[in-house]
Order: sequence, then structure tokens, then C-alpha cells
Amino acid sequence: MKKTVLYVLVISVFAGILASAPAVRAQEQGKEELKLQLPKPMFIGTPRNINSPNLEKITGKPRGAFFVPAGTKLVSLNKPVTASDMQPVIGEVGCVTDGEKSGEDGYFVEFGPGKQYVQIDLKASQPLQAIVVWHYHSQARVYRDVVIQVSDDKDFVSGVTTIFNNDHDNSSGLGIGKDKEYIETFEGKLFDPRGAKARYVRLWSNGNTSNDMNHYVEVEVYATPAQ
Amino acid sequence: MNKKAFAGLFLLIVLGAAGLRLADLSLQPMHHDEANQALKFGALLERGEYRYDKADHHGPSLYYLSLPFARALGANTLAKLNERTLRLVPACFGIGAILLLLFLVPLIGKEAALWGALGLAVSPVMVYFSRFYIQETLLLFFLVGFIVALWRYKRRPSWAWAVAAGFFAGMMYATKETSVIAFGSVAAAFLLVSLFRGKKEGDRPAAGKLSNLLIGFGAAILVSLLLFTSFFQNPRGWFDSILSFKVYFVRAGEAGFHVHPWSYYLQTLAFSKSGSGPLWSEGLILILAAAGIVAAFRPRAKTVADRSTLRFLVFFTLISTAAYSLVPYKTPWNILPFYAGFVLLSGSGAPALLGAFRRRSIRVLIFLLLAAGFLHLGAQAWRASFVYPADPRNPYVYAQTSPDFLKLVLRVEDLAALHPDHEKMLIKVIAGPYETWPLPWYLRRFSRVGYWTDATGAGAPEDAAIVITDAEQAGRLESGLNASFQSEYYELRPNVFLVLHIRNELWEEYLKSRAEK
Repeated sequence: MKKTVLYVLVISVFAGILASAPAVRAQEQGKEELKLQLPKPMFIGTPRNINSPNLEKITGKPRGAFFVPAGTKLVSLNKPVTASDMQPVIGEVGCVTDGEKSGEDGYFVEFGPGKQYVQIDLKASQPLQAIVVWHYHSQARVYRDVVIQVSDDKDFVSGVTTIFNNDHDNSSGLGIGKDKEYIETFEGKLFDPRGAKARYVRLWSNGNTSNDMNHYVEVEVYATPAQ
Repeated sequence: MNKKAFAGLFLLIVLGAAGLRLADLSLQPMHHDEANQALKFGALLERGEYRYDKADHHGPSLYYLSLPFARALGANTLAKLNERTLRLVPACFGIGAILLLLFLVPLIGKEAALWGALGLAVSPVMVYFSRFYIQETLLLFFLVGFIVALWRYKRRPSWAWAVAAGFFAGMMYATKETSVIAFGSVAAAFLLVSLFRGKKEGDRPAAGKLSNLLIGFGAAILVSLLLFTSFFQNPRGWFDSILSFKVYFVRAGEAGFHVHPWSYYLQTLAFSKSGSGPLWSEGLILILAAAGIVAAFRPRAKTVADRSTLRFLVFFTLISTAAYSLVPYKTPWNILPFYAGFVLLSGSGAPALLGAFRRRSIRVLIFLLLAAGFLHLGAQAWRASFVYPADPRNPYVYAQTSPDFLKLVLRVEDLAALHPDHEKMLIKVIAGPYETWPLPWYLRRFSRVGYWTDATGAGAPEDAAIVITDAEQAGRLESGLNASFQSEYYELRPNVFLVLHIRNELWEEYLKSRAEK
């Protein structure tokens, strides 16, 4: 039995080598290959294995100053949060407004795959001046179909204003967005609500480039007091 | 153990190994290195072109041994190849390495061969890289074959075992330049075994004839000559293979971004955990290998194994582990050649451990613990290859292409279906070489794809239906592309992005087609 196995192994490998003798490609009669002048890819060795965050290199420049009316305050801290998935895979929905922006484990909430939202109740309708969102920043990621809406209606049926929408192929079904995708950084992404008056802020996403889950480290909403 | 029981158990192990290695081979996206190898093989398959490159891509055996697989599965062009066909090659050689242990039975005994085969079958690192289209599993196979043939020759010298040893040595050399570490470790281990040889143990040196040695050496030269010279089409190839040592010696020392501490391999094998990921450990194999080392040197150890063979395995394992660990350049697939020694030693360690106790109840308990430990290894192998095959929390995942990249490929294919030129639409890839792969593999069916490392030579981007750039080039081309292209980000690897730019007209067509669906 052992000899048979040895013979089979050695013969297989020899046969493989012999069968590997240079192949000649048959050419079709009367035809010739169309020669294109496009450059070939460069063969190159194993790329760097990146495990550590390297966000600044990717984002390049720090965000510039953003100006808001005098008297603008953070109004979202510790405000109630609801979500399309009230049983997150990791963490608690309260993480979204707890003021902790660390990128480490334990500081973010993870919602299930696909289209999900979180909603912040600011407790009063007021002119919104800035919304800053940190989805996840211990690794560079792009979150898909980021849509930010504000309204005074907690069900977002009427009086909905869309602040940002980068769902360019309408895969989330909230309408085609013209805004650009962006890479998450430790700075968060600042959105300009242009003074839109609202009590509720709803933030949608639909997975990300690393996996199909949805994450929030923190959301900050800045507003001027209602007149 | 009778022959039938041994044959039955060995067959079960091989079937288990085959299940882990052959199932769902296209599960994870092609790695940068796999795609490089695949394109090299494609040139050989389609045009019979292969020239050994002393600067990169290692030896020719992988490409030549892929040919029978491709032909048997009806793939005669690069476009017809798929991941399954390519990864079948290392998978079969991974199973073959287990079969080779049958020839060690006269030297280490049936029980040790069975435990060793089980270790090779379920070791997570062995399984993971048996499903990876690179040279390492082939090197493992030829190394095991070389060790088997050497010791069978030493036990009973014959021209057949001399040829087998030469053949396997030649194939090792034609597989990867790092085979030189294995050759050095084998030679040093032989030397040390002869120093430790006890007269009372009845060892005697192999009565090898000079003619047999010459035959073996000739076989090694012939095999490596055939492959490196592309069957004498490129006579320089064999000389280049010798010159390549300079290149690899410099690279091993410089290491670049693959430099890791000396403990990287042992730590990865013993225990690893990343973030919220699960625990990984091949500690059982390491512990059993330690028992095998004790059995090799303990005078009263109950073992049926040939002590010289065991001691050889001990010295080979320790020397090769030290050598691989001292080289600053480290990647996880380089674990395989020296870890083969640990697995073979663990095969002898298990029966030695069981034989160390007289009480039947203790032996049953140890056997049950071993069974549970090997089951756990098998579960980790399954987890590594089927649950976390591209997840950075898997310790064997290294610079792996992200699954998100396949969404880019799918988008390009969907767009091509709508474009009037279909697979002849012009695609421009403007990205650094490290950000280009594995695009050439996934775009192999597209006939008009150009690759540039920066935008200056690529001409006007507006000519193309699709432009794919890395994040840096996307920033530079932003002003030129913004007006007439829709852009999307895709993750190539963790923290590395590609940007897909689609001409507005084509994008509108795409949105229209989606709305109609």
C-alpha cells in the first residue's frame, strides 16, 4: 500500500512537470491579435499589513475652523436616543450621546447589518448650527448611505429636512443623494444644518467598507436657543 | 495496532483533511500575492511564457504544477481560470504532505504517524495556507518528502530512495529560495544526530554508495534545471536562481514593512487574540512536540520510534525555528516549513505521553484530553478558513484583500453589462503598485484595461468609462474627475481604499436600469 502511494505521488508530480512543457497557443486562421498599447500592471511583493490606526495620513489635512452664531451650545449631551435596532450587537444606544469619543473598544455601539438609524431627541425644537458624527475611528472606514435628517415629527413623516445624503445609488431608498462619501477620522464629520429648526435628528447608515454593521461612537448636535 | 485499524484511521484523517482543504475554495477574495502568482501562471497557461525572475515571485514549481490542474478542469486561458482551480493546487499538496507520513511508519511507528497526520490535518495554519495560492504548501510537501526519503535511504540505502530524495530536494529548491534554510537545518541536524549517536543504541551510519549519492544529487540538479530554465528555453534561469540568493539575503535583512520581532512566529502559534476576536492557539501541538523532544532523549522512554530519526526531527525543528525567527523579514506563511517539524514531533509526543503512565484510568483521561484538544484545533481550522478567512482578527490573515473589494468588482461588471462596449470598455487604473493588486486578476476578462502608477502618463481621464484610483491619486485628480464622474469608495485592505470613478452618462444608465428593476 505504501509503495503504491509513493509511486502515485512521485508519478503524479513527474506527470505534472511533463504535462507542463510549454504550451503552444493555436491561432485562428486569417485572424491576428489586436495589439493594444495599454500599460501592464507592475508585479510587486507582499504589501504592508496595516493593523494600527493610520488615519491622519489618509485624511491629509485637519479640518478648518467652522463658524457658528454666538451663543451656540452643545444640546445633545446625554439626550435620549432611540434606534431602528434597540438591541445593539455591542454596546448601548446611550453611547451615542454620552460625550465619550474614544476610538477604543467599549466606547461605541454596534447595530446589526444593513440599513439602520439612530435618533436623538433634543427635547426642544431649536435652530441647529452643527452636527458632528463619529461612526468609528480606530480604523479607516467609509460608511455607506449616510443620510442625516431633522424634523419636529418624531416619526419623520412630515416636515423632514435632509441635511446630508450620500446614498448616490438610492440603495437605502431615501432618495438619491448628491453628497460625497468620506473616510471616518478621529475628527468626526461635521455637517452644516444651516440653522434648520428641529427637535429630532435621525442618522442613517447602511454598513461600511469593513463589514455590514453600523457603528456610532458619538453624535454631537450644536444649536442656538429657540427664540 | 493492526494494519486494518491503522489504514481505517489514516483514511479518516485524510478525508477530514480533504474536507477542510477542498471545500469552498473561492470563499475569500484573492490576496495581492495570489493574484500576482495567478497572472504569472496565466502567461504560462496561455502563451507558454515563463522566465524565472530572480527579484520576486519565487521558484517556478507552482506555475508548472498548476498546468495539469488547469487543463484537467478545462481552463486554457487566464479568463477561464478561477480561484477554485488555482487554490486546488496547494490544497492537493497539503493533503499529499499527510499521505507522505505513511512512509515514516517504519521509522516513527504507526501511532506517531497517525498523531502527526492528525496534527497536519487540523492545524489551523496548515489548513489556512493549504487554501492559499502561493508556494508555501508546496514547499511543505517537498520538505516532508525530502526528510522521508533521506531517512528511508539512511535506513536501507537504495538508488530508488536516493532518486526520491534528490527529486524532492530539487523541487524544494525550485519552489522557494527559503528552501536554503531548510537545507541548512537538515544538514546541521544530521551532523548533531551523528554527535549524539550512542553506541549502545545500535545506530550505525548509512552505508550509502557513492553512486547512489551521485544519482540523488543528479536528480536534484536535473529537476531544478528543467524548471528554472523553463525546460531549457531560458538557460540563464538556473544561474539566476543562484544569483537570487543575494537579492533575498538583502531583503531578509532589510525586511522593510515586514519586519517583526524574533518571537512573532512562536507567539502567533502559542496564543493570539486581536480586539474583540476569538482566541487562537496551536499550543497543543507545541506541548506535544515538547513531549516528543523528551522522548527523543530520555533513555527509558517507551517509544517504538527510531531514536535517531526523532533526534533528527528535534534538531531540525529547533534549528529551522531559530533560523526563521532570527530573520527580520516575517510573514505568517513562512511558519509552515519549520512548524512541520513541530507537528511531526507532536506525533511522537502523544504516544510517549500516553505511554508514560501505567494506570489505565490516567491514560484514558489523557487520551480524552488529547481528543478534545485536536477537536479544538479542528474547530479553529474551520473558523480560520471559513468564518474569518479575510478578517484581520485571524492571526494568519496578513495584508489580505477585504471582502468589500468584491463589491467594486461587482459594480464594474454591472456597469460593463450596460456599456455599449461591454468588456471592451476602457478602464484606467491609476494607483500605486501596492494598491493595484488584485485588480489585474479580477479585471482579467476586460480587454482594455491600462495600469498607471500616477496620473501624468494616463492621459485625459474623460476617455475612460471607469477610472479606478488609490486614495492619494483620487485626491490629486479630484478637480478633473468631479465634474464628469461619480465616485465611490471601496476598501482594498484594512485602512487602504480604492476609489471607483464612473462616467456620469454610464452612472445615469445604471441608475435607470436599477429603477426599472
